[in-house]
This record gives sequence, C-alpha cells and structure tokens, in this order.
Amino acid sequence: MSAHNNFVANSVWSRAMLMAGAILTIGIVAFGALGLGVGSAKYDTYDSAKTAYYDAMEDPTVTEDELYELHHVEIDAHLSYLTYWIAGVTTLVICIVYAMFLGVGGFINMMQPQEEHGHDDHHGDHHDDHHDEHHGSASPIIMCIGVLLFLMGFPDFVESTRPLLGQGGSFVAGDMILSMVGLTIIMISIANWWREDLPFIGYGEQIATSAPFEGEHIRKAGIWVFIMSEVMVFATFFSSYLRIRTEWCTKWAFDEGKCSVGATEGDIVLTASDYLRPGGAAGTGDFWTMLPGAVNTFALIISSYTIVLALKTAKDKDWEAPKNFLRFFLPNKKIAVRNYLIVTLALGSMFIVLKLVEWSHLIAEGFTVGTVQGSIFFVATGAHGMHVFAGLLIMLYLVFKADTVGYDEDNGQGIEYFGLYWHFVDLAWVVIFPAFYLY
Amino acid sequence: MGEHAATGLEKWLLDKTGKDIYFWNFQVLMFFTLFEVGAVFFEHIPGTDIRISRFMVWGILIVVGIIKGYGIAAYFMHLRGDPRIYTRTALFPVLFVLLMLWGIGLSNPEAITELPSWCTPDWDYATNR
Repeated sequence: MSAHNNFVANSVWSRAMLMAGAILTIGIVAFGALGLGVGSAKYDTYDSAKTAYYDAMEDPTVTEDELYELHHVEIDAHLSYLTYWIAGVTTLVICIVYAMFLGVGGFINMMQPQEEHGHDDHHGDHHDDHHDEHHGSASPIIMCIGVLLFLMGFPDFVESTRPLLGQGGSFVAGDMILSMVGLTIIMISIANWWREDLPFIGYGEQIATSAPFEGEHIRKAGIWVFIMSEVMVFATFFSSYLRIRTEWCTKWAFDEGKCSVGATEGDIVLTASDYLRPGGAAGTGDFWTMLPGAVNTFALIISSYTIVLALKTAKDKDWEAPKNFLRFFLPNKKIAVRNYLIVTLALGSMFIVLKLVEWSHLIAEGFTVGTVQGSIFFVATGAHGMHVFAGLLIMLYLVFKADTVGYDEDNGQGIEYFGLYWHFVDLAWVVIFPAFYLY
Repeated sequence: MGEHAATGLEKWLLDKTGKDIYFWNFQVLMFFTLFEVGAVFFEHIPGTDIRISRFMVWGILIVVGIIKGYGIAAYFMHLRGDPRIYTRTALFPVLFVLLMLWGIGLSNPEAITELPSWCTPDWDYATNR
C-alpha cells in the first residue's frame, strides 16, 4: 500500500492482531527464559543460600565473620533472583499490554464496515482538492472521559481485584465496573483515533490562523503547549524534592559538616543514590547497582537519536539504502523507518524493565515507599516511567502505521510530533537522573 | 524536530565530517552522560588524590545537565531552526518553574540556615508559627 494512496482496507487491521500475537509470543518467551528459566535456577541458589544462612545462625561454631559472609551471599543470591524474575514478569506484562492495545484496537477496526474507511477513499490521486478537509479528531476528548472514569474507579479497582485473585478482602463491583467502563471507552476511542489517522497522508493539516502561532501546524503548537504543562508537572516533583531534601542530613552534607551540631553518622538520611552509587552511605552501591540507571540514561538518549533517524529517513526524498552491513536492517525507506521505530520501542521497553528491576533491588535493600525519601523517589521516577510507558503505547501505533501505510516526506510529521514528546521524556530524565540517582 | 536546511555549525560539521548535526549531538550527549556518571562513580579524580567534593559534583551535574538539555532541545527537538514562537513557548514556564523552586523548594526552615538569605524566601511563618 503506497503512502500516497490513503485507502485503507479493513484487512490491514488484521496485521495489528498479527503483530499483537508476535509481541505476546516475545513476552511469553522472555518470561519463560528469564523468569521461569534463569529465575527458577536463581531462586534455587537463593533458597540454598538462605537455608545455609539460617542454619549457620543456629550453629554456635560459626563465627561472626562467617555469618556475615553467608548473609551477604544470601543477599546477593536474592538480588540476582529478583533481577531475572522481575525482568521476566515485567517483560511479560509489558507485552500483554502492548498486545492488548494492538489486538483490541485492530479487532475493533477490522470489525467496522468497509464504508467506515470510505470517507477518504476518493482522495487517492486527487488529494490536492481536499486541502480544506481537516485532520482534527474528537477521539482524544472521548479518551479523556475514559481516563477520567478509569481513574475514578481505580483505587478501589485494585482492592476489588484482590478477592478475585484469592487474596482476601470483600469484592465491591461498583468501582471495578466504573474502571472497566473507562477502560472500554479508552480502547474504543484509541481504536477510532487510529482509524482516523491511518489513512492520513499529510494533506489537510490544520493551520493556525491567528497569533501567536499564525501559519503553524495546530498539532505542533498543541504538542508544545502540552509539553509545557508537563514541565510544570515535573517542576512540582523537583520543588517538593528540593523542599524536603534541604532538610536531610545526607552523607554529602555530613561529610561537609553541614548537618546540625552533634549529628552523628546514625543521623544520616539515606537517599536512593546512597543505595545505588559507589561510596553511598548505605554501603550497598557498586558498579552493578549503578548500571541499570546509567544504561537507562544511555537507552533514552539512543532512543531519542533513533526516532530522529526515523523522521530524517521519512522526510528524505532521496533516501538510499546504506552500502554497508546496515543494508540488511535498512533495505528500503519504508522498512528503515519502521525498524528505527522498533528500535526506539525496544529501548523504551528496556528502560521500563530495568527501572522495575532497580526498584525491586531498592525495596529489597529496605528503601521503600514508606519513607519520605522513598516516597518522593518512587513518585518522581514512577511518574517519569509512566510517561515513558504512555509514549511506548503511542509508539506501537507508529510502528503499525510505518509497517502498513508507511511514513514519507508528506506524513512524517506524525513521527515529528510524537518525537517532541519523546525528547521531552528524555529531557526530564536528564534532570531526574542526576537529582535522584547520582546526588 | 522539523527538517531544516543545515546552516552555520550544522553545515560546517556536515561538510567537514560528512555526518549531520544529529549524529554529533548524539555523540556529545553520550560523552557527557559518561562524564556525569563518572563524576559520582569516582570518589577521587582518577590518577590524583583530589577528592571530588559535593560542590564539584554539583558543578559537574548542573553544567552537564545544561549542555545535555540544550543539545536535546535545540537539535533533537529542533528549536534551532523552528520559528521563534516555539522557543518562546518552551521558555514560557521557566519563570513559573523558578518561582516554584524558590518559593517551595527553598522554603524549608532547615534550608535557611544552610543557604544564603538572598536565595531563600525567608518567610516569618516558616520559622515562627
């Protein structure tokens, strides 16, 4: 299907379901390999280490040093087990959500009568005649209503699932139903949004007609205004963090003699960076604890670059396949754009997996959300993680469009506008990483 | 993040190296991230006995953050080359952010004892309620 022919047959949507199946398979294989395979072996090692430690505690012949050593072996084995188990489970959950979005969205659109797509059929070779037909959509507003309902029922929704999973508590249907209705509206609106956007070939972009954005694409101005509101969201986290951090007697402040008179090492407040960086006050930090955060930083920067490459490739009229080994990865323009987006998606997914692995280690070490420093850390980095994950769900659609209709110099702005959001997420991490992980 | 014709530094880099500004921006971002991690990874400057102090770490993290932020916003988000209105839009909330960092972030009574008085709100009710 050419990008210059905006007729989209219903059958195209079956490809979304195919992709959903492929993603689900990847999730199951990853869970099998990481969680059940390596994770189970690591659990056995952990179990043995734990038994050895508890046995040694009962044994009067074991010295303190030996006990200390056994305890550390047990902790290392536990963290190693957590690494693989959490990575496996997270990958599976992420893939299930991806598959659900693509599968349900694809299914809803595939079930639509073909005429539903027909409103654009006549554009084909005469798109110049339809510049006045705008590309606006009511779907985002409908989705917002869905999000509102979902969040209204969400707190008790979580509680309602406990009895269903046999974890006790009483089942309350009301809020769960509210959340499910919200979720259904979200899915339908997203599917509708996709159906409206898929045939879009770059003609009919709404242009602002008054200051200050006169002559600019309304969608681009809109995404910038949205990003600015996001800046304020993250500013609240940073100002809160700064407000409470200046009160803490951290290791940095203690070493510099900035804590209150008479403060001892026992008064030092442990921050996340104390657990993660080498030389941190918790004494747990080394190269390996620092690695996930550092790798995530590089992953986001690389993903920012790959999405720029996707846009650059889409916009390049004279694009040629590379002559070196990359020609297998980038054989033609359409596949090149798609593959750059897939790499971006993979890097973003890796970011989420590593973040949760890192969280599990921090929680296991005792850095929990129950403390003030844990609360601000998990809320700020969690909010950032949610932004990354939301971006990944949008990117799923970009991959789907790149794989079916394709992006070119006319409709590449879809990648551009999403890219602005993705770069902002990267930009937020540029501040979060040093503030919460390094300092 | 729109595509613009290369000018100035971008054109010079393209002519001299054959690689575009996105590639070099990516390299700079990677290098400074490595530098940033290194700043806290080492307790002393490698090869010397000079201890990396708290203020040195502050300096490095802030300077590197500004460089990386500029690289992402100017080149990846393409504020350089896009109409000025986008840069103005991007800078619009900075005033509010600074106000929040000052009015909330530095309003801690404990912070007042540590930071110079000119950079704290120093409201009476913060210490005398």
